[in-house]
Amino acid sequence: MPILSVDGLEKTFSSANREEKVLKGINLEITKGEITALTGASGSGKSTLLTIAAGLQKSTAGTIIFQNEALTDMNTRQVQAIRAKKFGFVFQHAHLVPFLTVQEQLELMMDTAELKWSKDRRKEEIRSILDLVDMWGHRDSYPGTLSGGEKQRVAIARAVVHKPEMLFADEPTASLDSKRSMEVMKLLRTLSRERNITVLMVTHEEETLEYADTIVQMKDGVIGKGLV
Amino acid sequence: MKMAWKEMVKFKTRYVILGSIIFLISLLTMIIAGLANGLSYDNASLIKDIPEGTFYMEAEAEGLYNFSGLNEKNRAEIKEAVPEVAFFSIQMGELESEDGKRHGVAFVNSDGSLFPRVKEGETIVDDSLMESAIKEDEGLTNRLLDGELKVDTFVEQQKFSHSPVAFVDRADFDEMYRTDEYQIAFVEGEDAPAVAGLERYTNDEFMNTIPSYSAEQLSLNMIVVFLFIISGMLFAIFFYMINVQKIAMYGILKAVGVKTATLFRMMWAQMAIITTISLILSVGLSQLLALIMPSTMPFMLTAGSASMMSLVFIIIGFVGSSVSGIQISRVEPMQAINQGGV
Ligand SMILES: Nc1ncnc2c1ncn2[C@@H]1O[C@H](COP(=O)(O)OP(=O)(O)O)[C@@H](O)[C@H]1O
Ligand SMILES: [Mg+2]
Repeated sequence: MPILSVDGLEKTFSSANREEKVLKGINLEITKGEITALTGASGSGKSTLLTIAAGLQKSTAGTIIFQNEALTDMNTRQVQAIRAKKFGFVFQHAHLVPFLTVQEQLELMMDTAELKWSKDRRKEEIRSILDLVDMWGHRDSYPGTLSGGEKQRVAIARAVVHKPEMLFADEPTASLDSKRSMEVMKLLRTLSRERNITVLMVTHEEETLEYADTIVQMKDGVIGKGLV
Repeated sequence: MKMAWKEMVKFKTRYVILGSIIFLISLLTMIIAGLANGLSYDNASLIKDIPEGTFYMEAEAEGLYNFSGLNEKNRAEIKEAVPEVAFFSIQMGELESEDGKRHGVAFVNSDGSLFPRVKEGETIVDDSLMESAIKEDEGLTNRLLDGELKVDTFVEQQKFSHSPVAFVDRADFDEMYRTDEYQIAFVEGEDAPAVAGLERYTNDEFMNTIPSYSAEQLSLNMIVVFLFIISGMLFAIFFYMINVQKIAMYGILKAVGVKTATLFRMMWAQMAIITTISLILSVGLSQLLALIMPSTMPFMLTAGSASMMSLVFIIIGFVGSSVSGIQISRVEPMQAINQGGV
């Protein structure tokens, strides 16, 4: 039973003078607890697929089923609630809130997920995730004082502090050097193993693929042969 | 709201600048409103101190009190409907004091129910004449009057058309202005019957028949209204500029599931904090000004009207920031994701 399944997904971007079919009927099943990596040439539609699967934009046709519920049938408010409670996001840039400390970024996410955790529980969770990404020492720092790698680690902590079911990551290592990239990949694998978080990520860096359980190759809006 | 406050602390300068502008504008608004109120008192305290009710004047006088005359029949008709009606007349004139100086006054003759009753040959005058060195028991004269008017007492703040009021007896008034008809009737409270041939005025409408009164109040109130509009636009523009800078952040916050309502509340909280601090300062300072302003400066700002204005400012801030907040609701998560950021 997949946690997320994509069925006949199509996406066409239309502007005044042209139409571009970016996704041409995608079928995909994501297994719970696994790391699935989307890879393929730039412009092949990886980000589009990931963001639609994550409820960040609408598809033109097809369905997305998440935990037996059709994301594609929900209204904006319902999708927003799913994103807040069940999903976590890591983007190419960390996109931290500039005026909140590391710890406050995580608190914001717990508030957004409307968790009914006690004060102590919240503290514990923050401590444990910041320990894991090795940023506990920076808990009171503002994003402006952190390096790129540190910011991305905070972004990952923020993405999972509310214990989401799924983590969506679009080229989380693209802005990092090779050594930092490997650290982030290890971190994602640890999260997936220790916290049973299902990960759907986009990457086009060969070396990061070894951390994936399933690799999905994309080409011109269709899924190519999968390799494991 | 913690996030709203954190942002203001982190970006102090811009919020302090907005706060100071709001402070200055609201202070200016309060000063001008205080001046308008003070001037209206200085102009027409005789009428301003009368409780809310209805004034009657002859319809043919077309709002000019000195052309109005209420005949026996009119008076009887009002009196029958409302027994506790008050009648009075006003004429602008002058009084000469013993030192030979002339003082412009507003003669008021009344049936004694609304204004102090005066004996023939005496007068009760506004205490501003005391500053012109007129003393109690001094005999004042008028060209149209054979005898003298002896100053009985002084009363506080009784002015009409910026002139001190001199209450006189009907016989003296009659001798000066050759009329035994009262010009104006006043009925307190809300139920005042219509009387054929007479026009009814509310207190405000009646005060506005004083030519200088409407001119002063209109121009000052215009300024106040413009200041309100300016501050509303200021809020809108300020939050517009701040929001434009935060579009990417709003997009990301929406992407991770933050509700649009939460983002609005954050903006409203900032608006409320800035406005409240600015208003506390400007109300405080304007009340202080009211205390230390010289008495020759007509400035009057009650705590009540200051808080009314504060309420208007808060509503305006709310509307102004909400208008520019519409952009927040338009932000799509996808807009921000592919852009760079912190
Ligand atoms: N919002 C959009 N409007 C129009 N075209 C878009 C939009 N987003 C993506 N595209 C187009 O869709 C194609 C696939 O983009 P994307 O999914 O970002 O590819 P990838 O992530 O694999 O590089 C590209 O040709 C891109 O120009
Ligand atoms: Mg991409």
